[in-house]
Amino acid sequence: MRLESVGKRYGLRQPWVVRNVSQEVAAGRLIRLEGPNGSGKSTLLRMMAGALLPSAGRVTGRPRAAYVPERFPGALAFSAREYLFHLGRIHGLSEPRLSAAVAEWLDRLGATEYAAAPLRTLSKGMCQKVAIAQALLSCPDLLVLDEAWTGLDQAARGALDEAVGERVAQGGTVLFVDHDPARLASQVDERWQLAGGAVRYLPGAAAGGQTPPGVAESAVIVELTGLEAGSLAQLGGLDGVLSVWPDRVADDEPARRLELVRLTIAEADSDAVLRRLLGWDGVHVIEVRHGTGREAAR
Amino acid sequence: MISLLRYHTANLFRSHRWILPLIAYALLISVGGTSSHLAATSPAELARLDGQALASGFDWSAAILVPVVALLTRLMLTAEPGAARACAAVARGPGRAQLAALLVAFAGGLVLGLAGACYELAASGHQTALLLPFLAGLGKALICVLVGSAVGTLFNPPLIRHGAVALLSTIAAVVVALVSSISPAGAALRGNGATVQSAAWPTGVPLLAAFALVVISWGVSCWLAGRRAD
Repeated sequence: MRLESVGKRYGLRQPWVVRNVSQEVAAGRLIRLEGPNGSGKSTLLRMMAGALLPSAGRVTGRPRAAYVPERFPGALAFSAREYLFHLGRIHGLSEPRLSAAVAEWLDRLGATEYAAAPLRTLSKGMCQKVAIAQALLSCPDLLVLDEAWTGLDQAARGALDEAVGERVAQGGTVLFVDHDPARLASQVDERWQLAGGAVRYLPGAAAGGQTPPGVAESAVIVELTGLEAGSLAQLGGLDGVLSVWPDRVADDEPARRLELVRLTIAEADSDAVLRRLLGWDGVHVIEVRHGTGREAAR
Repeated sequence: MISLLRYHTANLFRSHRWILPLIAYALLISVGGTSSHLAATSPAELARLDGQALASGFDWSAAILVPVVALLTRLMLTAEPGAARACAAVARGPGRAQLAALLVAFAGGLVLGLAGACYELAASGHQTALLLPFLAGLGKALICVLVGSAVGTLFNPPLIRHGAVALLSTIAAVVVALVSSISPAGAALRGNGATVQSAAWPTGVPLLAAFALVVISWGVSCWLAGRRAD
């Protein structure tokens, strides 16, 4: 699968959420998307899954895909089992494979007991299990998980981890976002860091790269004042910058100087980043302290 | 596509969303189109009045298809939460998932239109040649289903996403579709009520216009389906 200059904005006068993303997505990879809230992770995931069409560029060669949304409100009139049968058929499964797959995934996720209950009566976690089962039924070659672990019990989280491992082992690509930096950390092949609408590609731990911030890596937190609003995106693009707060400001006054900007920088890169910052006109560093990437994620 | 149609149809029936349009149609059809022909003095006069009553019955049952099908279309377009829509869209494409929902509403409108025309036929107790007026009635019903579908599509998500705006503009569009002279539904209904016995089929122009409206509105709706945020 290839992303060719993919960009998305929700309206002609709206800012670009992600822009100019070009990347080859190889088969059999586990890819984690990282970035602060509002950095466009969900938008990019949905475009790669095919639920959302890009405003610019295109996605080519997408294999059979399945998608687990961030929240799955069970506001449908079906029972869990009926919904899975419908979605299985839409994904191209037919009997008897369909019944077997529905039974298998209900069982693996621990949802068999609730299979006959109407979706609207199920708890958030149970609905999430149905959303996950829906995606795994068809053994997709591209599995896209948007914080799919949220709300699951321990056993179901384990089952999902295992299912992701299976998909990757069978040559499928799995893309995911999760707020827990330790999620599947040792198996991640690629880390895509989103900031200011752009993506940086880092190797994951399975490919010899670093684990995500907060797992093993400690970080340096730097507070600045006097940064021009228009330079925020540039800041997020510096090597080693893990997060920037605020992550976006109104576009109307790019020259306005912000009173407070907080950066989290990977410890190894912090000296280089600080040197760069000190050279920027009008920017003053007001605090430098030690922290963790996990702290910065909050 | 069949699996998507099946999914949307099942959701329509299981969610009981079909009840409101059905009851609305049944009520409106039973209160309208009941004109008496007691004033007839001769058999020829009776036949003429009979034909007129039947034609106005067909007109009425077709006209109320516009709001009913617009409502049904709205119900179909708002039936799924965004997350569930995305799950189905990933498998078959957002445009196709949208088209399936529109087709289910349209098919529901066709069923209602056929049932309405049959009801008018049965209720008229008509004696003379039935086939031509019946076909003309069906033609008008088809035009009104098409116009209702186009109105429901154009004034509801994803084209108009604000709930109250969508509802009010749908109602306004239904009124315009029924009274305005440029609307295919208005033209079909006003065309030749009195002389329907001789006109087997409403003029082709309203029918073509209604088809064009549907193609355009469905096209825009399906095109936008994967492009706008929920």
